[in-house]
This record gives sequence, C-alpha cells and structure tokens, in this order.
Amino acid sequence: MIYLQIAANGLVLGGLYACIAVGFSLVWGVLNVINILHGTFIVLGSYIAYFAYVHAGIHPFASIVIAGGVLYALGHAIHAGIINRVIAAPVLITLTLTFGLDLILNNAMLVAFTADYRSINLARPLGTLEIGPVFLPGDRVAAMALALLLTILLWRLLRDSRIGRAIVAVRMDREAAALMGVDVKRINAITFGIGALMAGAAGALLSIIFPISPLNSATFLGKAFVVCVLGGLGSVPGAIIGGIVLGIVESFGSYWFGPEHAVTISFAILLVLLFARPRGLVGRRGYE
Amino acid sequence: MFTSYLSRRVAAGIAAAGVAVLPLLPAAAQDAIKVGAPLPLTGPLSPEGLKQKRGYDLWVETANTKGGIKAGGKTYTVEIVYTDYASNTPRAVQSAERMITDDKVNFLFAPFGSGATKAASAVSEKYGIPMIAPTASSAEVYDQSYKFLFGTLTPNETVSEPIAKLVTENKPNIKRVAILARNDLFPLAVAQAFEKAVKAQNLEVVTFERYAIGTMDHAAAITQMRAARPDWVYASGYINDLILIRRQMNDLGLKPQILTMIAGPAYPEFAKTVGPLAENITSMSWWHPAVRYKGKDVFGSTEAFNAAWEKKYGGEADYVDASSAVDGAIIQLGIEAANSIDPAKVRDAIAALDVETFYGKIKFAASGQINSLQPPVFQLQGGQPVVLWPPAIKQGELRFSP
Repeated sequence: MIYLQIAANGLVLGGLYACIAVGFSLVWGVLNVINILHGTFIVLGSYIAYFAYVHAGIHPFASIVIAGGVLYALGHAIHAGIINRVIAAPVLITLTLTFGLDLILNNAMLVAFTADYRSINLARPLGTLEIGPVFLPGDRVAAMALALLLTILLWRLLRDSRIGRAIVAVRMDREAAALMGVDVKRINAITFGIGALMAGAAGALLSIIFPISPLNSATFLGKAFVVCVLGGLGSVPGAIIGGIVLGIVESFGSYWFGPEHAVTISFAILLVLLFARPRGLVGRRGYE
Repeated sequence: MFTSYLSRRVAAGIAAAGVAVLPLLPAAAQDAIKVGAPLPLTGPLSPEGLKQKRGYDLWVETANTKGGIKAGGKTYTVEIVYTDYASNTPRAVQSAERMITDDKVNFLFAPFGSGATKAASAVSEKYGIPMIAPTASSAEVYDQSYKFLFGTLTPNETVSEPIAKLVTENKPNIKRVAILARNDLFPLAVAQAFEKAVKAQNLEVVTFERYAIGTMDHAAAITQMRAARPDWVYASGYINDLILIRRQMNDLGLKPQILTMIAGPAYPEFAKTVGPLAENITSMSWWHPAVRYKGKDVFGSTEAFNAAWEKKYGGEADYVDASSAVDGAIIQLGIEAANSIDPAKVRDAIAALDVETFYGKIKFAASGQINSLQPPVFQLQGGQPVVLWPPAIKQGELRFSP
C-alpha cells in the first residue's frame, strides 16, 4: 500500500518539476540559449507572490497573473536589450552572458530581500485529502494541477496561434522563417519573455510549497536541466513527461535506496539516457 | 632571471618607500589587532554567515568604545578583516591562509560550521595562529590534537542527552523514535549522538534516514517514517531543510507526540516562517538569552550583552550570534591574560582560561572544545521559545502534541 503513496508523491513532485522546466526548455529549444537566469526568474516570481500575499492578501494562485506579467516584461526587455546582441554567437557566449546576468540579478535579490528564508502560510490551506491509505497534500495537488494547466495552455498557444507557429518555425529553421516574413528578432524576444513568464508563474505556484530565498535558484535550475534532457529539448510534452519521470524516479529511488541517494539515481538515469537516447524521451528534430 | 631581478628591485623599492612612510603613520594604525574572519556572506550558508558577522561586529564595537585592548603597556584597537567565501569550503580555507600571509592577521575566527572549521583548522595550525570557532560542535573537528583551534559550542552529546532524559521522565510511554538527518558533517553527527542518547534511555529507533544536501522533497522519507508509527520524530538540518520537513510532515499526516528539530528553531525567524506549525517543536541551543551570567569579559553580563544587542540590531540574539560575540571576547581575555599579542602566548592563555562570561563559563578541554556549558533545551510555545532545562533557568513545562 505504501507504493501507492510513493507513486502519488512522485506524481505531485513531477508535476511541479515539469512546471519548473517548461520555460527553460522552450528557450533552450527555440533560441538555443541555455538560460542560467531561469532559476532566479522562478525565485523572483515567488517573491512577487509572497509580497502580494503578505501586503495585499492576494492568493498566490491569483498572483500567477502578476508574476507572469512582470516576468514577461522583464524577460522581453532583457532579451531585446542584451541577449539579442549576441544571439547568433555560439551557445557558450549566450550561456556566459546569462550566467553573468544571473549573478547580477541574484545578488541584487540577496541585497533587496536578504538570504533569510520566507514562506507563505496560507490563512485557509486546503489541508490533506485522505484517499484510503494515500495522503494527498491539497495545496500541492492544486499547484500541480495549475502548473499542468499552464503548461498545456502554452502547448496550445504554440500549436494554434500565429505567434506560436512563428516560434515553432524559428525553432525549426531560423533562415527559412526569416525568408517567410517572420520577424525573428521579435519572435526571439517574445519566446524569451514567455520562458520568463512560465518561470514567474511557476515561482508563484511554488511559493506555497518551498521556503523562498534567492539561494534556491540554483536548485531550481538544476532540476530544469535534468527534466529538459530527460524529456527532450524545446518540447512541451517532453517537459511534462521528463518532469513526471524525474519525480517518480526520485520518489521510488528515495524509498528503495534511501533519500540521500535520490539525486544520484536521477543523474545516473540521465547519463544512461544521454547514452541510449540523446534526444530525450519524446524529443525529436523539428517540432510538433 | 630578469623578472626575478626586477621583482627584487621592485620589492626593495617598495620596502624603502615603506620605511620612509612608516614614521609618518599615526600611532593608532600601528596598534591595531587584526582578526581574520572568512565567512559565507553569500550562498546557501549566508544566513549563518551574517549572524557570525553581527556577533563579531558587536564585539569590535564594544571593545573599541571601551578603550580597546591593553597588553604589554600598549593599547590596541581591534579590526576585523572579512572575506566572503560564498559558502564554498575550499575557498574558506584559501581565504584563511591568505589572511595570515597577506593581511597579516594576528588571530582568526573560524568559518561557519563543523565541516569548514575542520578544513580551515589545518591552516591556522600550520601558521600557529589561534583560531576560535563559534559554530563547530562536532567532536570530529577537535580530534586532530591541534593546539591552535578552540571552539565555543559543546559536543553534540550535550545537546542530545538532556532532551532524551527530559522526554522519558515526562512521558514514559514514548517508545518509538524516527530520525531524519541531513547527510552533512554536523547534522549527521548530532543525529547520531541523539540516536545514542535515546537508545541509552531504552527507546527504540524505528527508522534512521539520511537526506542529501539540497534535497527539495522529503515526501518519500516522511512516508516511510509514517509507516513506522513513531511517537517521537527528530530531524536535523539547517533552517530551510527543517521548514520544508515540517510542512511536508503536516501534508503527509505524520503527527508524532513530540517533534525535535535542530538547528533552526533557535533562530527567531524559524517560528515566524513556519507559523502555527512551529507549535510544540522542541530544540536545543548552546546559549539562550534567558541565561543569566556575570562575566569578566568586555560585555560584563548576559543582561548587558542582551541590551547591547537590542540597541544595535533590535530583537534577541541567538546562539550563533552570542557564540560569535564571545569568541571575540575570548581573544580579548587571552591577550589581556598573556599581556601580549604574540599568537603563541595568547594561545597558551586561551587554553588556560577558566573564566565567567556573559555566555557562561569558558573552559576548554585539551582538544580545544569548550566543556563548561549546559546547553538549554527549549520548546516553541505560542511562537516563543520557552526554556525547559536546565532547572536553574526553566521557564515552562514540556508539552506533547495530541
């Protein structure tokens, strides 16, 4: 019976991992930019939700809109103003650039918010649902459901909207897209903005689960990395599948081998996968 | 050859310029004692590093405003040389060494925690510079027969045995204990000391799980603990780990009669962050603002220290703050007793200290670790720490959760 609980733990965690990773995956897949800022964007989203809750009583789930909007604007501006200048350079250049920007933004947050851990204690938490022997933490499940909903919305956006098709076109072939009249610079900035928006929204959702501190950004970034490589770059379903696989593997791995080995196991699986299926579980060339 | 000749010329030139300038410097600049403090001012340990810094700063301010330190007929002011090692232990060791060789510090404060302190102690030993550690409690730090390392947290047993006795005396039907420890030098060592202490009281340890540094999810471990039906849950780690563990225990319905966590509840921000879930958590602390000691140190008494703290920072100091401040006071007591700032003489004077301070009695074992304190046991009740032990400063009774 304990296996049901462990599977449930893994699913809930996996949904959150998917949400952490999807924006990162999009930016990497479409722009070929490894956005080291991603973890810091998530934490910034959490802070927005925290201050909105503490000062205005806005539920963190409602703050998704605020955090997403602010982060979109920030991401768009950072890309249009800074990253676009070196977007055609090799991936290492943009990686170094986002690494430097991350140092600046993260340390600015340390100065502004201090490293102290904060946390949102909801006035009316959803409590715990008990389904037979399985305990489901209400707020986590709700956050996971919203995260999946957002991810699916992003997927629909990419498939069904003009902007979405343009993003996909740029991902598939930058030159051809430009020849077809797509404004590649604009699409790049929008894509980076959407990546930041997803990070901000994820941050708002995670604010009710994890303690909030600028120090968490590296942990989020690390998870995003693993999920992307597991699932396949630039693919929304890939992020969902990668996230859930990682969540379940960590959950069962902790149970069987002890929690100190959970990370080792997930990275071991990552290595095996890189060897056997370097495109990721559902990754493929081109796009859906 | 040419470059070494050149650099010798340059060095000679600088030395000559130095000799020329030296007599013009004000006397005060020569009579400063430099203490090096490598700290994790950024990175995951920065909350702890900033606490240490606050303690040192208060000591420096107090020592300097009270007229500095007198030794060998001279009066010295104190100055701290800080570096940020960004929570990266190898860099802590490098900065300690650089402080000795380049900054010419007279004394050192250790970096944060048992692991980094042990690593840096090799450097202080090599150069014969006394290093005082405010936040290293694990016996493994002091087992190298080093002469220049001193620490002001008592061994982990002293924060484990009293609570084991207190709980079994208050409620004999508590039998099953589950332990969750961060796989890191101090948190693991303190959890093992706790395991030994509860076994000595004939309690049964039903699970002992370790989690990796940086773990984001404790659901699997908590599920496993819940299946073992513990009466008493013990979790070790740092503040962010413990916040997450407490929340997930609640999410997953793990509700023991007694919950003990270390080291986090001793910091005022813990109860604030965890909110109502902090209620009834027990913990231990090497020092508590409720203790009352009269001392020969620069602060004079616990009340005076508390007042100085309140004035400079607002609120109450926790054990990291106080231990850091007393480490400065110990260097000062050592210099005054040796009547010299010679590191070897001050080292001998510190080793021989047997003195009351605002922090409690200071006396070091041969290993260099303090052995003269009784760390209090406390419980968070109504968001406030209430001291349960030792009886001399007891403020309330141990409560159990239903």
